[in-house]
Amino acid sequence: MDYFKSILLEFLIFLLFFNKTFALYEDQVDKFDWKQSYIGKIEFANLDSLKKIIVATEENVIASLNLKNGQIVWRQVLENPLEHRIKLLHVQKEAVSVSGDGHNWFVRGWDLSSGTLLREWTIHLDKNMTSYFTVSENKLLHIAAVPHSHIELSKYHLLSGQNSGKSIKINGPWIKDLTQCTISGLFFACLDENKVKYINLLQEQKMYAYDLSDVGKESESMSILPFKSTESSVILVKNDNAKVLRLNPDGSFYLLPYEVSPSVVSATNGEQNILLHISQMVENNGKYQITNLDTLTGEEIVFTIETNKEFWQPNILCAICKGTACRVLVQTLDNSLSVIQLPSGKIVWTREEALSQIVATEFVELPVSPLDASIEHEFDIGSGGVIDMFKKRITSQFNQLKLLMSGSQTTTNTTLWRDDFGLHKLIVLVTKVGKLFVLDTLTGNIVWSKYLPNTSPFDGLNNQIAALFVQRTARHHPLSPQCIVLMKSSISGNGIVYIFDPITGNVVNVKYLSSPIQQAMLMPQETENFLKPLIIFTTEGLVELVPESAIMDLYSYRHVLFMFNINKDRKSISGYSFRHSTEKEAKATLKWNVDFGPSEVVSYGIRPASEIVHSQGRVLGDRSVLYKYVNPNLIALSTLTDDPLHKNVHTFYLIDGVSGLVIYSACHKRTREPIHIIHSENWLVYTYFNERFRRTEVVALELYEGSFQSNSTHFSSHAISQLPHVESQAYILPAVASAATVTLTERGITSKHLLFALTNGAVTQVPWMIMEPRGAFGPSGPEEGFIPYVPELPLPPEANINYNQSLLRVRGISVSPARLESTCLVLVHGLDLFYTRVAPSKTFDLLKEDFDHGLIVMVLVGLTIASFVTKYLASQKAVRQMWK
Amino acid sequence: MYNTVFLTLLTFNVVYSSNLEYDGWATLTLQHALEDVANPVYTDRGNISILSLRTGSHNINQEPLSPSDITKIKELSASNKFYQLKSTVLAADGTVTIFYSSVKACMLAESELNDILSVSLDYVGRIIAVTLAVASTTTCEGAVVPSSNLKEFRTTVFVRYTDIGPSPDTASYIQKLEREREAKEKGELKDNRSFLAKYWMYILPVVIIMVLSSATNPDAAAGGGGNGGGR
Repeated sequence: MDYFKSILLEFLIFLLFFNKTFALYEDQVDKFDWKQSYIGKIEFANLDSLKKIIVATEENVIASLNLKNGQIVWRQVLENPLEHRIKLLHVQKEAVSVSGDGHNWFVRGWDLSSGTLLREWTIHLDKNMTSYFTVSENKLLHIAAVPHSHIELSKYHLLSGQNSGKSIKINGPWIKDLTQCTISGLFFACLDENKVKYINLLQEQKMYAYDLSDVGKESESMSILPFKSTESSVILVKNDNAKVLRLNPDGSFYLLPYEVSPSVVSATNGEQNILLHISQMVENNGKYQITNLDTLTGEEIVFTIETNKEFWQPNILCAICKGTACRVLVQTLDNSLSVIQLPSGKIVWTREEALSQIVATEFVELPVSPLDASIEHEFDIGSGGVIDMFKKRITSQFNQLKLLMSGSQTTTNTTLWRDDFGLHKLIVLVTKVGKLFVLDTLTGNIVWSKYLPNTSPFDGLNNQIAALFVQRTARHHPLSPQCIVLMKSSISGNGIVYIFDPITGNVVNVKYLSSPIQQAMLMPQETENFLKPLIIFTTEGLVELVPESAIMDLYSYRHVLFMFNINKDRKSISGYSFRHSTEKEAKATLKWNVDFGPSEVVSYGIRPASEIVHSQGRVLGDRSVLYKYVNPNLIALSTLTDDPLHKNVHTFYLIDGVSGLVIYSACHKRTREPIHIIHSENWLVYTYFNERFRRTEVVALELYEGSFQSNSTHFSSHAISQLPHVESQAYILPAVASAATVTLTERGITSKHLLFALTNGAVTQVPWMIMEPRGAFGPSGPEEGFIPYVPELPLPPEANINYNQSLLRVRGISVSPARLESTCLVLVHGLDLFYTRVAPSKTFDLLKEDFDHGLIVMVLVGLTIASFVTKYLASQKAVRQMWK
Repeated sequence: MYNTVFLTLLTFNVVYSSNLEYDGWATLTLQHALEDVANPVYTDRGNISILSLRTGSHNINQEPLSPSDITKIKELSASNKFYQLKSTVLAADGTVTIFYSSVKACMLAESELNDILSVSLDYVGRIIAVTLAVASTTTCEGAVVPSSNLKEFRTTVFVRYTDIGPSPDTASYIQKLEREREAKEKGELKDNRSFLAKYWMYILPVVIIMVLSSATNPDAAAGGGGNGGGR
């Protein structure tokens, strides 16, 4: 019988996964989802031909873009940009990139048309030195500079990596400040004491100098930049004016007599050698112009850039000319990349590369359509009398009928109105450069964008973050929705509060704080205008309110408002209370603190504020109820401690945010980051990397109050009758997770799925059901639907929500409930942006797509007709029988 | 008692790294604020010496409350304010940490000063939090309590440890698979039950279906029978 039991179990497991296959059908691809790929801020760009641009970016990406439309032809993602940097991109027959971390440099050759890796070899250095690379006739020259001493020059064969000869030391006591040094072609040049000192790397020991005082220039506040041209040149920049200094192979120099802007490139146009530079016009609303300068004749042609959009300090990356027509690749301060066509000055295409580094996301509901709004207001008790109301109702109903007839009620992509199922929303995104974007969930198109100059994100626990809050949703019809972004000024570090309408992009208010922001939170209560006031806690311990008029609301809720803050050194966490606020001043008082000593907080997790817990308990096999411990104030924290014995020790804490009581703690020895925490309902999941077994482990925790609920109406952190009972279970995740979250639905009835973004490019969903720790069954044995413990979490490819579209370098996943209970909207962001919707319990509240409406109508009509016919026949028969 | 403290002091003076493996001690100086203001004045309440962090054995030394303090607690309780506690922890390695904590004064008064002090330790036995709590299932919104109930703190100290977290249980799973495999092998070897005993679950549905189909189709069955009779 045991044998059959095991077969039955296996069959059940099979059934379970069979049920949970969420793979799409082929024709559903792109129907609910969209993907956008980005490459990041461009560092090196090369126009390979009239068709392609080869670029290398700050995100360590090598890519090829189509010059005509800006689409990515191919993209190769290299190592983590936090450790590795691309130092050189050389395009000839193939693209050669040099990237590395200072010790190891990888030289890679890429095929220009397909982007396949053709070759790879490494340069290994013993010491970490400032390295420069340049290419000369199939030789890669590696220059390691030691300030005040010398430079070391090594030559390698570009394709094979063969070291040709020993490395040569060149004396260079004149190399002082490496920030004032550059490499251009075969010249290594430094700015030193009013002189440009340079050497030809092939002639080795001879140093040349160009005296700036000869031309009446001082080196003070001057900088030297490389200049890409057919001849070796450098640009000398002073006060936004630049001059090109040409260095000839024999050591002589030639200073071009033209004053240009620092954003200058050279372009060959047949025999002509021209310079293209961009500058802002003083007149004409500060529009930008591109100047085409012939270096031989000094002839200048000026083109104005025709654009309605804001253009933030454009910088020319490269240009290609054919006759009078030029195509110029321009990158602006907000990381948008454009190609400008000359002589027309029109922008051919624009890529918003700011979207490659998103620091905050939020889903925003759309307002109801005017028609729905009119229905809502139909029964408003207005000032008018009975006749007025009647008139209002008749007109609104007439309008409804008219709209229904014309069929314009169906939502199209262009209308920003709420749909019935809440699938059409807007996504507000804040990027690292300080540009706001609002995207449409249906199409992925940018609805509006806004650049906030001189802003930067805050330093989060392990990434950079910005704070984005929805103060008022679109539900309060005549009032427009409102969002707040908190950023810091990149100049002073003080807080900037930017208040805007997410639908239209209108600025409501911008506030500049006088001190840096430490913590911010949205009050759960609304003011009379349905605004949730934002409480900002500054580093000086002051409390600011947005809007300031909300002080009375704060005052009335001062006993129930609490805030926690992980302190800047990450070694302690404090809880604050607002109970000492007065009617005039908001005040935060320290209520509790937890001091982790030498440990450092690396991750934290709180429950989503909008989450609803549908069932308060779990029914056990013996029909008794195990009540869930649903503490809305629970904070989950992970700390890492450097331990001499166990390497890194990861400790997981559960702390009550009101009382500061440590509810649970557990440690894992010999572990390290990445650590992710998922916190939902009465359970938590955290992942960490186990160094002993070299694998990612996932721990699931469930908290239960027991068979009695201490307070069924509301939870209070003050009343602690007993600590929750914690059940835990650990699993192996056969992959490395770069982000993790859990699905969120409107009413919390739908089962929960965990979403893990894996480093292999997949975003996979794991049902919470298979992770639930049900270690001890109790006296009644295992429950119905109990899944036996399997230590390794299954990650079937059908569970990937992004099917075959790999998402690279995922930084976060954000979720939002749709109005359909079954559906949850998901946005995965990283180098790629991927939006889709998931239905953890399948779309139980939605008819199937292939549902045959015609058939059901036919059957119904047929049945009705048949019943009438039979009724008629039956009555006839009855009459006939009575006559008998 | 002072002797023991002195002795422990001597013995554990050299220990700093791990308080749990070598067993450490800690002294908590408790001060409380009987006025709920933003910057309160803390007055002495007593001290607790945890003699052994491993076993959690401790000495509590708290003086009875003075009449003026009792009145203050009553006032705090009646006005639904917070009773604040400041604990200064002196650990075996000489580090001093201050922890703040507070409870609703009315809950403290209603419990007749029967409070709980939760001392949380991290994995090596460093004190990371000292939290005051009152065991109760309900919260109060201000209460008047007779002075006779507010004389002396009856504190319970809980030293709470950080356990080692769970790890994937591969061993027992492999054992389970092994057992299943063995059971399967055994089953294959000596499964000498009759055919019906082995496959009854497959035969039964077939039989039921046959019975049902013949029951729903009695005419055909009857007609067949009639034919037979006619021959």
